[in-house]
Amino acid sequence: MAASASAASPRPAARPARGRRGSALGWAIPMAPAAGLLALFFVGPILWCFWAAFTNLALTGASASDPEMVGLANFREMFADGDFYSAAMLTVAFVAGSAIIGQNCLGLILAMLMRSRKAVVRTVVGGIVVSAWVVPEIVAGFMWYAFLADEGTLNSALTAVGLPANEWLYELPLLSVIIANVWRGTAFSMLVYSAALSEVPDDLHEAAAVDGASAVQRLRHITLPLIKRAAMTNLMTITLQTLSVFTLIFVMTGGGPGIKSQTLPLYMYQEAFKFSQLGYGTAVAIVMLTIGAVFSAIYLRLLRNEV
Amino acid sequence: MRRFIGLAMAAGLAVTMAGCGGGSESGSNELKIVYQKFGTYIHLDVMLRRLKPVFEQQNPGVKLKLIPVTANDADYFSKVNLMRRSASSAPDVVYEDTYVINSDVKAGYLRPLDEYLNTWPDWGQFPDSVKQGVKALDGKIYGVPMGTDTRGLWYNKTILKKAGVTLPWRPKTWDDVLATARQIKARVPDATPFNMYSGKPAGEASSMQGYEMLLYGTDHELYNSQSAKWVAPSKGMTDSFRFIKTVFSEGLAPKPAVALDKNLNTIVTTQLFPKNKLGIALDGSWLSSTWQKAGEAPWPEWQDTIDVAPMPTQNGQAPGKTSMSGGWTLAIGAKSKNPGAAWKFVALALNRENSLNYATTAGQIAVRDDVGKDPAYLNANPTNKFWTDLVSATHYRPAYAEYPEISNQIQKEMESVMTGQESPEEATKRLTESIQKIVGAEKVEAAG
Amino acid sequence: MAPVSVGSTTAPRRAVSAAAAYGVLAVVAVLFLVPFGWLFLASLNAEAGLTTEPPAEFTLRNFAEVLNPDNLRAFGNSFVLSGGAALLTLLVATPAAYPLSRYNLRFGRPVLYALLFSTGLPITAIMVPVYGMFVQLELVDSVPATTLFLTATGLPFAIWMMKNFMDGVPVSLEEAAWVDGASAWKALVRVVLPLMLPGVTVVFVFTFMTTWGNFFVPFVLLLAPEKQPAAVTIYQFFGQQGEVAYGLLAAYSILYTAPVVALYALVQRTLGGAFAMQGAVKG
Repeated sequence: MAASASAASPRPAARPARGRRGSALGWAIPMAPAAGLLALFFVGPILWCFWAAFTNLALTGASASDPEMVGLANFREMFADGDFYSAAMLTVAFVAGSAIIGQNCLGLILAMLMRSRKAVVRTVVGGIVVSAWVVPEIVAGFMWYAFLADEGTLNSALTAVGLPANEWLYELPLLSVIIANVWRGTAFSMLVYSAALSEVPDDLHEAAAVDGASAVQRLRHITLPLIKRAAMTNLMTITLQTLSVFTLIFVMTGGGPGIKSQTLPLYMYQEAFKFSQLGYGTAVAIVMLTIGAVFSAIYLRLLRNEV
Repeated sequence: MRRFIGLAMAAGLAVTMAGCGGGSESGSNELKIVYQKFGTYIHLDVMLRRLKPVFEQQNPGVKLKLIPVTANDADYFSKVNLMRRSASSAPDVVYEDTYVINSDVKAGYLRPLDEYLNTWPDWGQFPDSVKQGVKALDGKIYGVPMGTDTRGLWYNKTILKKAGVTLPWRPKTWDDVLATARQIKARVPDATPFNMYSGKPAGEASSMQGYEMLLYGTDHELYNSQSAKWVAPSKGMTDSFRFIKTVFSEGLAPKPAVALDKNLNTIVTTQLFPKNKLGIALDGSWLSSTWQKAGEAPWPEWQDTIDVAPMPTQNGQAPGKTSMSGGWTLAIGAKSKNPGAAWKFVALALNRENSLNYATTAGQIAVRDDVGKDPAYLNANPTNKFWTDLVSATHYRPAYAEYPEISNQIQKEMESVMTGQESPEEATKRLTESIQKIVGAEKVEAAG
Repeated sequence: MAPVSVGSTTAPRRAVSAAAAYGVLAVVAVLFLVPFGWLFLASLNAEAGLTTEPPAEFTLRNFAEVLNPDNLRAFGNSFVLSGGAALLTLLVATPAAYPLSRYNLRFGRPVLYALLFSTGLPITAIMVPVYGMFVQLELVDSVPATTLFLTATGLPFAIWMMKNFMDGVPVSLEEAAWVDGASAWKALVRVVLPLMLPGVTVVFVFTFMTTWGNFFVPFVLLLAPEKQPAAVTIYQFFGQQGEVAYGLLAAYSILYTAPVVALYALVQRTLGGAFAMQGAVKG
């Protein structure tokens, strides 16, 4: 019973292990391979991006061989462009709708429902949800296009039961791509929450149930505090992943009609590769990075203050 | 301090791996040939593989390294440009779109070919209109054209007959096209009379197959090469927008939800045309390749139903028809260590025999006169002669680095016009402002 | 814990809630399956387009055509790249996460956050300098180097996840092991890792998955067509003017999806074992 009791007390995050602090080798050696890999392959390119955002670098044309520093020109141009604001707002809506609300909540619900169900049910339902995650993104785009198109599966089904068909991709482009992305990305949240819930001991729930706690109370007071860290891991990961979703939207709507579903990655693609303004594209990328950082800061703050 | 240990370890790893990297070190006796191998487009790959042993036998000591790139155009350009940024990975021979030649010359990626072309007897087989397409701003030639494409009207004979149109259909003016479309709308109500790509989702197809097919049939073009200025505003510009407005506001084209569908080209080739739901389509010469036996949507009997007509000029101005063309070339990299051998390879790959072979297998419109007249080419596809004849009336897009951005603005204004948010005059005004912003007001001139 | 006292009152309620849970799961499963309709029908249709319709004749021709030696090699390449990157990630991320979870490191977290946010940089932007670097080091077209780079791009996420899962394992269990004379490393491997096996699995599956679907990195860093993974060769079904061989694409996608779903099923079974073991440790 001792272990169970210790598990029941909220576990402090990074509690220093007594007597094992001062030894620098204790942390340096295990971290060295990771630090080396990241330093070699990752840090340089990132710094390069911060440099490129302040140049007129292009992959072709005169400034390909001889890029110049242009200071804040890229950012000034960006903030003067109405399409950029639209793209930024759509990106925030896309992340909030498909990642924070859609994938996160649906993933948690699935994980809770699948908990302590038969293994075969977990494998089948989980397998279906995971399949959606694994399908190549470009094919997922075609699948959802075929589902939502004017003469698509959904409209056929609606008219078959006497409901009016709808021009989903034309009238509701953002909602369409949000739903498709929820479908595609929920598996990850489900996996994370399943893993986290497996650490919540069953007996804790049962004890609370005996004490007369309702399901909602149990969720609020037992489950949620214990999966707090998992929630943070999950939110941060899916936010950063969703921020850069490109192919799915590109195949379904191409950012249209007009620019009604043109999120920042599509905007960046257009600027950096269609117009080959790599410097400007990188500046857009840095804005995306900033949006990701703002979301992450909010998660860190929220979760630190809770409990 | 420990960071350095990590770094040193990683660097050590990197060095070890370099050993098993392989193939990246290349002597000047190796020619790197970089080209696209995308989807159904495998014909160049097939040809180059066939030519590799031939060339190596003719040129002892020189080895060819074929590097096919499986990607769409944008990704292909990105990868090739990345390779060209480093001398050690820069290709010797590269498959190059005519339309990026100018910007690649500016970037210092390409080598002029004039010294070789002057003594190449075959060069005389290339018509001047084609040579213009590979000449950069400095007046030098940077690529040998492999083939081209043209654009015009495809129509469904069954539907036009039902609508009471005399066949073969040969519209003389834009109004003829519109009149036929109206006739279809009235008499064959379950078919879409006319399709043209318009708006942002279809991308460059909207600008090139759509807007520029109209504009270059008026008295104005997008770029005046004499004055070296972009032409905006112009009457032709507004008239082209008005054509779009007419087509969409009168319901002669697909409804907006379909017209702005990202996959409209698939809808046209696999649903609308084969199922007799579309009368006329302003589209590219390659359309029927989808219906060939080996195509994506086989429809071997398409010739019984589908025929072609040139796109007329606005009021029948000479030469009465118009077309737009793109096309790819073989070019030589500026950093090539053995340009002489690279040229020998280009000359081999694009001699008469190989050009003919490429044109028939890849479904390309021939650019060499001798190939264009060859019965083997003309018989390969019943429409080949039709599309090849259009080369005489064809136009190329302004091949300048600013064009993609201007093209994007054209698509945007088309979309505003087709959805009724802007009048043709407003669209011209906004497009003019955008062009001025992109290239600078001093490089823009008004016309008409 | 006395289960006897629970039985009578909660059992019926439990049965109801279990039934409801199965009901909801069934609905979700169906909703998730519906978009696959097009994929399956198109894969069996020699003349597939973008509409969901039963083919005029069902055929396995698409599968037969897709299962050629070139594509099988591409799938093999994907396994080497993804499996290699996922294993390496576990090997490197686990020890790196340990100090982050167990010690109060002043610089650890800020550095990690910075790297984590940087993963938000679109890979397309990063590839320009990375390619230049690979050329300098003569690593272009090297499969091991590409695997290592893929490992590096996945590391920030992996370390971050690993650290958070590790935080979930109480220090007290380790302390017990130390008392028994185990080293920190042994305690990590024998006590901590088994307890966080579900988390480790998530990290592995996540890394494998993202690498499996990564197009741009192998596309840029590998030259030889016979080294390219399935995520790159999928573009063989697309044409220059936007025409797509949908039937073949669908068949290929099903084959592309299957291995990872199988991996998931396998992991599910292994995890069943993990839960049991966890119970044993806690008992």
